[in-house]
Amino acid sequence: MKKPLHKHIGHQARKVHGRVTKYLLERDTMFATVWVFLFIIILGAIPLNLGVINPIKLGLKDFDSNDLSYSKLGKAEHTDIDTNIVIINIGHADREGIAYIIEKTATLEPKVMALDVVFDEARDPSKDSLLRETFKKNKNLVVAVKYQLDSSEKMIVTRNYFKDDAHQYGYVNFPNEDKETTRYFFPLKKTHDTSFTFFSSAILKFYDTVAYKKLIKKGDSKVMINYSRHTNQYLVINADDLLMNNVDSSAIKGKIALLAYVNTNPDDIEDKKFTPMNEKYAGKSHPDMNGIVIHANIISMALENNYIKKLPLWGNMLIAIFVCWLHMSFFVHYYLESHIWFHLVAKIAQVASAIFFMWLGIYLFDKYRLKVDMKMSLVVIVLAVDVIYFYEAWAVWMHKKFNFTTVFKPHHH
Amino acid sequence: MKKFQFLTLIILSAGIASAQDNSFLLYSFKGNVTVVENKVETKAKVGKTINKAASIKVASGSAVTLICNEAAMFTLTKAGNYPLSQFGDSCHISNNSVSANYVKYVWAQMTNSSGAPGSNRKAYMNTVGAVSRSINNIWIDPRLDTLNYSGGEFPLSWKSYADAKDFEFLLYNVSDISQPIYKTIVSKLKISVPSVAEKMKLGNTYFWTASVKGEENDELKVFNYVTTETFTKVLNNLKSQLSTFEAPAEQAYRIAFMLEDAHYLAEAYQYYTKAASLDSANVLYRSTLMSFKKDYEIK
Repeated sequence: MKKPLHKHIGHQARKVHGRVTKYLLERDTMFATVWVFLFIIILGAIPLNLGVINPIKLGLKDFDSNDLSYSKLGKAEHTDIDTNIVIINIGHADREGIAYIIEKTATLEPKVMALDVVFDEARDPSKDSLLRETFKKNKNLVVAVKYQLDSSEKMIVTRNYFKDDAHQYGYVNFPNEDKETTRYFFPLKKTHDTSFTFFSSAILKFYDTVAYKKLIKKGDSKVMINYSRHTNQYLVINADDLLMNNVDSSAIKGKIALLAYVNTNPDDIEDKKFTPMNEKYAGKSHPDMNGIVIHANIISMALENNYIKKLPLWGNMLIAIFVCWLHMSFFVHYYLESHIWFHLVAKIAQVASAIFFMWLGIYLFDKYRLKVDMKMSLVVIVLAVDVIYFYEAWAVWMHKKFNFTTVFKPHHH
Repeated sequence: MKKFQFLTLIILSAGIASAQDNSFLLYSFKGNVTVVENKVETKAKVGKTINKAASIKVASGSAVTLICNEAAMFTLTKAGNYPLSQFGDSCHISNNSVSANYVKYVWAQMTNSSGAPGSNRKAYMNTVGAVSRSINNIWIDPRLDTLNYSGGEFPLSWKSYADAKDFEFLLYNVSDISQPIYKTIVSKLKISVPSVAEKMKLGNTYFWTASVKGEENDELKVFNYVTTETFTKVLNNLKSQLSTFEAPAEQAYRIAFMLEDAHYLAEAYQYYTKAASLDSANVLYRSTLMSFKKDYEIK
């Protein structure tokens, strides 16, 4: 009589379970797992940087599997527009134009205004005077500066000629190189005698003290940015519309008005940075997001309390050890009992596991904003197959020399 | 039974309530757009929140972009009076989870084959153009460069990254690009080729470009106005390339594909249309025609 389907499935499931667990508690499985990690430590300790000749490693240097969720899986595509924030596109306005735009914005009574533009030196005196007066007049205006070390290695803020005329300023540096993806920021920078506030932190100080305190509590440490919105998920107002009274006052009143250069033309990369929201998640591409939109994302994250939690290193290591142990048990089973299928099964298991663990990382990131580094888990799955061969030789040698008990037999295949 | 009726009533009420909650944010507009609320007509303003009882009036050549329930964005570009209550469907957001999309993505990647060129026109045609250094507000599809044309309706189109109402179309002789032989202002993002061809001589080559009115665009595209004899030779050559039997629709599709590859776009359009009408049940012919029309802004 033919078995019913559920019994057939149950039987197969028990078979797979048996293949994974049969050798799970064997001493060899555990030792082989340890050897995988010893290999990683030994390979990591080689003082040569072999990555320089490895195009895959170079290409994936800035890769994070979670970026896939933005570019291919539709994450953040339907996030609601953040009505707390309005971005005012200043276009290529000169200093006089910027002064007018600030004044016009101020008449619509935003709670805080922030200008993401650096002014390196004096230019036209009359236009400079206008901007200086505007900075002095508007107490709720935050201006941009950059921090750097001076010749005596002391941290200073610079790159804004009008800094001393502004009532508030914040630095706009991100802790990444120019061509790297912008993933982190420092809420503040501290030295032994002074501290400087990040641009977004300074804005929050005006707008929401609770959110500000929570952010500033993180101190001088890297905070990961939770990107939730593209440029068009913020209300972007062109300066022309603003100056021609084409803007409803309710859109700005009591809100955060961010003033900066914004454009959605993919060919225009002025003031654009690479972000995880880039359409291309690996390889060469164009920068995709204006700096002010990154600040808007940081502010949204702080206001919505949507910070990303990072699993600590020991947590990632524990996951990698567990994953390695399970895979080793499964591989040892096939290695000893169905060796003819070993390589085929191992390769299929590696691909299936890579897909599964990548999904798990993306799922945890999307659902619980938990960043789990799955790289180590993927590395151990790849190494486990090769280490079995070494381990077999080692176990047999140990057996001959010290009568070490092992499931591996000399020349068993 | 009463319990069931009560439950149905609650579900229906919840559905109706959620359908009635739509509110719209006026995200951006250009041209002459007005909002009619409580029978009072006011000029559109960016950032204004409008309820579903209001309506939007869009004048000719104007456009307005709205966001429904702070999430679903859509744009109205045709002139008319639009009661916002009719945009219930535009407020709908698909709720595909990231996990579901991941499974679809992995499956698509694993089962993706390069396929025959004819079944994936876009992938095959994506081999044109070179990098451009200048940055301007107009983007012209590289596939419209070196266009061969012998006759038929077809538009030269472009995209604008500026919020502009008027665009300048310029046509130059290849021997003199200092002065255009023809220029005109258009309000649309395209111009009909037959209207431009009137200014050309058969068998000659020209440059063309488009720019936002008042701006310059030095990215010139080549236009070859070929004689009917030249085109007939090309066509006969394409027809004779396959000696085996072809159904008329198959032949029309193959010729259309090869004409597009040879940059005879107006002629390719005629043959794609012919293939789709000869075999209207063929999904590939219909979808390729739709895709072609979308790519080249053919309405």
